[in-house]
Amino acid sequence: MAAIGIRNLSKSFDGFQALSKFSLDVQQGEFLTLLGPSGCGKTTLLKIISGFLEPSTGSISIGGEDITHVPPESRDTALCFQSYALFPHLNVLQNLEFGLKQKRVSRDQRDARVSEVAAKLGLETQLSKLPNQLSGGQQQRVSLGRALVMRPSVILFDEPLSNLDAKLRDQVRVEIRRIQQDYSLTAIYVTHDQSEALAMSDRIVVLNDGKIVQVDTPEQLYAQPKTRFVADFIGGANLITGRVCSQTKEGLTSVETLMGQIQTSHRINKSSENVELCWRPERAQIGKGPYCGTIVHRAFQGQFTDLILEENDMIFRIQTNNDRFRVGEVITFSILPDDVVVLEADG
Amino acid sequence: MTMRNWIQIFALLMPGLGLILVLIGSVVYIAIAQSFGYYALLGESAFSTEFWSEVFSRKIFSRAVRYSIYIGFWSAVLSVALAYPLAIWLRKPFPGSIGLGALLKAPLLVHGLVAAFLYINVISYNGLLNQTMQGIGIWAEPRRLQNDSNAFGVLLLQVWKNMPFALLVLTGSVQGISDDVLDAARDLGAGPWARFRKIIAPLTMSGMQAAMVIIFIGALADFTFQTTVGPTNRQSMAQLMVSFKSRGDWHSAAVVGVSLMIIALLGSALLALLTRTVMRGSPR
Repeated sequence: MAAIGIRNLSKSFDGFQALSKFSLDVQQGEFLTLLGPSGCGKTTLLKIISGFLEPSTGSISIGGEDITHVPPESRDTALCFQSYALFPHLNVLQNLEFGLKQKRVSRDQRDARVSEVAAKLGLETQLSKLPNQLSGGQQQRVSLGRALVMRPSVILFDEPLSNLDAKLRDQVRVEIRRIQQDYSLTAIYVTHDQSEALAMSDRIVVLNDGKIVQVDTPEQLYAQPKTRFVADFIGGANLITGRVCSQTKEGLTSVETLMGQIQTSHRINKSSENVELCWRPERAQIGKGPYCGTIVHRAFQGQFTDLILEENDMIFRIQTNNDRFRVGEVITFSILPDDVVVLEADG
Repeated sequence: MTMRNWIQIFALLMPGLGLILVLIGSVVYIAIAQSFGYYALLGESAFSTEFWSEVFSRKIFSRAVRYSIYIGFWSAVLSVALAYPLAIWLRKPFPGSIGLGALLKAPLLVHGLVAAFLYINVISYNGLLNQTMQGIGIWAEPRRLQNDSNAFGVLLLQVWKNMPFALLVLTGSVQGISDDVLDAARDLGAGPWARFRKIIAPLTMSGMQAAMVIIFIGALADFTFQTTVGPTNRQSMAQLMVSFKSRGDWHSAAVVGVSLMIIALLGSALLALLTRTVMRGSPR
């Protein structure tokens, strides 16, 4: 049985359809990320799961039990807020204990759980401090600890790292994942940061306009985006349209594009069809090859260099470890058929 | 900080603070001095504790003190108790909330004396309330409702007049609490009462204390409502003070005035402490 079952969930606000017939199962112990641009419905979905919003139609169950109309205070979920939402008048210890007191957990149990979580999150020396005496990372840990002591069936994260600086974000990201695995928690994580989603998740749900566009593992999502939206949203992508011109017995399809003929090993059902292809910038193999372009922009990124190429009024992007290329140079490159993905039409 | 800084701060504060200190200080000084026999308007001015002992020995004084504290305390408590749910309700805008908020604050613009006369017209022997109750058959004959001995009329008017002020103060405080903090409490299992007691009340403590203290001081020294709708068998401290003054006994009036100031000061401190103790909740 799935830890969370979402069936045909829809939510509209004054005529605006925030979620549309959304169905999804989340497995016990899974770390699932809801990823999408602002306004795609991910926070609405999280608020419906946590009980702060009622769906217009559809149902939600946790552990097989229908909780669609159960108020947030009675749900077995814990939410980590983007703003941390720590109680400013209570110290760290009192913040951590708050939920346990509401649930009337005995003093001994309370002390044991708080001590365990405080030790796990490195908060032992901060227990008597007020939230405004803590750094952003420490506040984030208290927020996480406050949810963890409740030992919920499901833990929900609403863009918890968005207020942290880049370095701290990387560090807390690892901590959240470690703790989720240590406690075998079922987690739903909302973010619009694709690198965060790729780094942390077991599965990613890409949302757009209140609908699921693709649900997959991070690796699959990156390597096999189904639509232009997913390809463009997850990592960098070069998108090009073309017409299928031939198919070989080995399963290779040649597509005529403005770049020239591009071969893909991915299946295309109908011949002489207009298709959209996608290839990742780092998959380009610089050196000999059928394609070429003039470098119009160069951005050194440390581990790699981004090169923007122009050819036949087309702009495309490639990434290389070689930092010697300069603007104005013409380079040739090839792309392996396995690295060219055929996209489905959006929507 | 250097002496120069201190002088600069002192000089900057003087125009405002100096005036306040001079005005308040002179009144307080005159009242205290008069209560000890100085500044006599009639007769000889000389130090004496006679007026204190005389006023304190009179039953009418102790009754006035108890009565004024009763009015001050309950006016403050009831006004704040009524204002809180309204402030929470009006915390988030909804269609009509601005108009409703303005309507609730309208009593601030109506003078107390006007409100008292309106109230008398409603509850008088041949007033609207008696006529309505008889008209719908609940009362067989008109009842005497004016100047009730428990001063419910005074309390009603005090709350009517002061609740909007408490609402004004508390709305600002309640709106200062973020939605996420209240949602977090709810997510952690806190119901409406627990959210109020453990989150809203402690986070709006300063506003609540300010409203309580200001309403208490105003109601403690009430004269208008007491003389128009108050019980005829009891006097408030302000009423007693005026009655001494009317008889030309300025020294006794000053004793009551100084007592009123002391009670206002001590009462405010106790009320603020009581509020903190009740609303803070147990930390463990």
